[in-house]
Amino acid sequence: MANYAMAFDYKLCINCHACEVACKEENGIDLGAKNHRLWIQEEGETKGDFWNLEVSEVKFMQMQCQECQDAPCMKACPNDAIYRDANGIVRLYKEKCDLTMACMKACPYDARYIDEKNRVTDKCIFCADTRLARGETTTACQITCPAKLRYFGDLDDENSEINKVLKTRKHFTLKSELGTKPKLFYLE
Amino acid sequence: MKIIETSRRKFLQGSVSLCVYATSSLANPFITTKTTLKRNVKNIPYLCNMCRNKCAGFARVENSTITKLNPNQYFPKSRNMLCPKGNAGIQAVYDKDRLKYPLIRLGKRGSGNYKRVTWDEANEYIKEKLVKIIDEQKDNRSTIAYCNGEGFNKDEYIKFFGGKIGSANFLDEGSICLNTKLGATQLTIGDIGEMDVAGSDYLIISGANRYESLITPDSVDMLHTKQKLVVLDPRCTMTAIKADEFLPINPGTDLAFCLSMIYIAIKDKLYNVEYVKEKFDDFDKLKEHILLHKYSAKWAESKTHIPAEKIEQVTREFFAASNPLYYLGRRSVWSQNDFQFRRAMVLINALAGSINRKGGIIFGKPIKLNQEEIIEPLYNAAEGRFDLDGIIYGSSNGGSWLNFRDKVISKSAPYPIKAMFIRKHNLMQNMPNIAKTKKMLEMMDLVVVLDTMPSDTAMMADVILPECTYLEREDMVVSFSRLEPSLALRNEVIKPLYESKTMQDILKGLGKKLSVPLFEVSAKYDEDLQDSITELGKVKAFEEGGYDLAELYRNNVSERNKNLITKQFGYKVYSSLKTKGVWHPFIEKQKNLGNNLYEYYPEEKRYYSVDKKYRVKCYIEKLAKNGSDALPTWHDSYDFKVKENSFRMITGRYVTSTQTASTNNVMLRDLEATNHIWINDSVAKKLDIEEGDNIAVSSSIAKVVIKAYPTNKIAPNVVWFAHGFGMHSDELTNAFGNGACDNQIIEDSFEKVYGCATMHHTDVQIRKL
Repeated sequence: MANYAMAFDYKLCINCHACEVACKEENGIDLGAKNHRLWIQEEGETKGDFWNLEVSEVKFMQMQCQECQDAPCMKACPNDAIYRDANGIVRLYKEKCDLTMACMKACPYDARYIDEKNRVTDKCIFCADTRLARGETTTACQITCPAKLRYFGDLDDENSEINKVLKTRKHFTLKSELGTKPKLFYLE
Repeated sequence: MKIIETSRRKFLQGSVSLCVYATSSLANPFITTKTTLKRNVKNIPYLCNMCRNKCAGFARVENSTITKLNPNQYFPKSRNMLCPKGNAGIQAVYDKDRLKYPLIRLGKRGSGNYKRVTWDEANEYIKEKLVKIIDEQKDNRSTIAYCNGEGFNKDEYIKFFGGKIGSANFLDEGSICLNTKLGATQLTIGDIGEMDVAGSDYLIISGANRYESLITPDSVDMLHTKQKLVVLDPRCTMTAIKADEFLPINPGTDLAFCLSMIYIAIKDKLYNVEYVKEKFDDFDKLKEHILLHKYSAKWAESKTHIPAEKIEQVTREFFAASNPLYYLGRRSVWSQNDFQFRRAMVLINALAGSINRKGGIIFGKPIKLNQEEIIEPLYNAAEGRFDLDGIIYGSSNGGSWLNFRDKVISKSAPYPIKAMFIRKHNLMQNMPNIAKTKKMLEMMDLVVVLDTMPSDTAMMADVILPECTYLEREDMVVSFSRLEPSLALRNEVIKPLYESKTMQDILKGLGKKLSVPLFEVSAKYDEDLQDSITELGKVKAFEEGGYDLAELYRNNVSERNKNLITKQFGYKVYSSLKTKGVWHPFIEKQKNLGNNLYEYYPEEKRYYSVDKKYRVKCYIEKLAKNGSDALPTWHDSYDFKVKENSFRMITGRYVTSTQTASTNNVMLRDLEATNHIWINDSVAKKLDIEEGDNIAVSSSIAKVVIKAYPTNKIAPNVVWFAHGFGMHSDELTNAFGNGACDNQIIEDSFEKVYGCATMHHTDVQIRKL
């Protein structure tokens, strides 16, 4: 029983793709850019001419399921295939999914993709059925990250590292105006 | 509250790194294996080999199959992380294109026509050819050239072909990599040292792209150290984007920037006066030389394109910092002035007193490993190497590739090279002007390649000996780092697949096959050996003379490690290496710094400063006597000039590729399918070039075709594309047909201090197809 969440010290990201590869290998995700539970999104551009280049707008954002506390995907599924597990992670009853793709359309973060092998929609579940199921306390993306920019832990545990970092540092969530209440936080 | 738009569609179209339009999609995307709970599981410590770093990891093995590679928290060097290449190591083991069986060539060299043979047949074939060659060359063992790129086991490979077989002609990656940097440091402060990035509060990096060409621990430390980072580069790299200050610079002019820093430091007495007084030799000569040439900021601006006030500012900040470091780099050699440029950087560090102290170039205290003794025969007829002729210093170990190749193909070497043994070295991709390499290999009577992949070089072999990958073997224990010294061991994760073997087992087989026949050739020509035979008899002369080529391999690597480590360090250290993959004195009490980062050595136990006698040599007479400069000097020929309608071609790497070794890795190819040529966006507009257009790039020696990436991140008269693409071997089914090979068009030229190939001097023309 936990309430898992993740925080990103996103400015440290060098877009090295280690997290993407670790995720694919750990969770058996198919190759191909369209198949991924997580990705790094480049925001902003280098501006001006080469000799006077402005680079400060360039950002690398860690993208994956935002673990909304009010999850649009859950509401949208006509088969009630999406549920929240005991650790607060949005999960899927695979046998109930018949690929209506309603969840994909409902997700404002574009976090889901079609898992062709299992014929279901898939997304990041914090390695719930691989690492966490084995009692490990880190996700594949977190432990491998060269920048160590990912904080993962239990929001209900006052002493967890993620709670400490959220208490001491300013942070924001993506598309907060939609009221989805994501549990993924970006540290300023 | 900031709102960021997210969209998978945008993601697909927006990033050139994904190259969605560039190549066809993969035939089989279902290659990953989800980790499970249900299978039999082992976690085995290993050391990565996807690049030169050797980061430590634990391999998850389920039912004898590797399903996941995880970082190892005990290794000070790699700081509990694995990069994308490290994670993709699984696909190196299970690559369907791997070399699986010994092969003997049937068709023409390069035709790719081979037959599968047994190990014994392969060794027998090599023996027949080699005995004939050595006999024809009257026991001059140096007619065999042998080479090995970066990596473990190189020492043993040298012991076999150099020590035991007796050839002087060993070549490695040093002369197409960083020998100028090593040499400049060694000659100036008497040691190659190590850079303490984590300890520095002000870091200048010239061209080294630490956030795309990852080096542990430097790249990781830069992310976690609160230091000012200044980056000079002719291209806006990821490192430049992340820098506090990015100073765009003309290619090959970093020496001018350095000379100006020295000038300002001396003129305004910004340098560490006490340190200079205590440690410098010939400081007066340096001072006089630099002031006489008036290497002012204004002067440097005219060479580098960096504004004079910026040079002034950075210089002042650098010398005012407590622990400044001018990063000496770790990559290929760029231009004719490369040695002097590296030396100038060492001198700048020394002027700031950043030698043998925290945040500087440190000497530290590496753990010394005992060597296993073997007897090396003496061959009277074996001649010396010739590739250092005409080179001022050069590495007597790894030599000079381009000089060697020139002398072989022009037949100006004092004796012919008839055979080559090539291991983990992709000659047909790794050095400028591949056509010349091909010519060299075509001249050989015997080419043997030991490798894991059917590389462009393997396709030139007469005999291919399949080596196992790094996850299928135990290697000899290695000592790492000077600041936080540790030992690390590559353990065997799974048994070698197919009929591949470890290098040691390959050399053992070869040694057993070759020992007596090659001894007999020596006995025919070598008078000392003949005397020895007369005196001792054949058997004893063979044994006592060290002619058993497989001597080192009487015990297997596992037994050798156990003997060596327990004898020198005790069983506890050995046990730590077998279970944790690493040993260092504080391994049991590493401090958790939070979020999976650790403190390894406590601050007060790190070897920042050690008791060591050394001098800083400003003036090196031997350089002046041999046509170089005793003191770093600018010459007009170093000025950056590009003809109209031409571009200076520079090269580098993507974070997802290691030279050419990882190019067929299906996971990495999925991330970075091909390379693109970076062309300045304004120039591209004028030439009507758009992203994805096919571009012909021509130099004086060849032409390649590559897709365009117009960007403002490169200067108008410079183009760039990444090394590691454009493979010619169609046996590499994932890599073949992707992108262009830089070394096909880079003109071959080497600098004269270390004989290193310069990579950034070629001008090219581009044309939209």
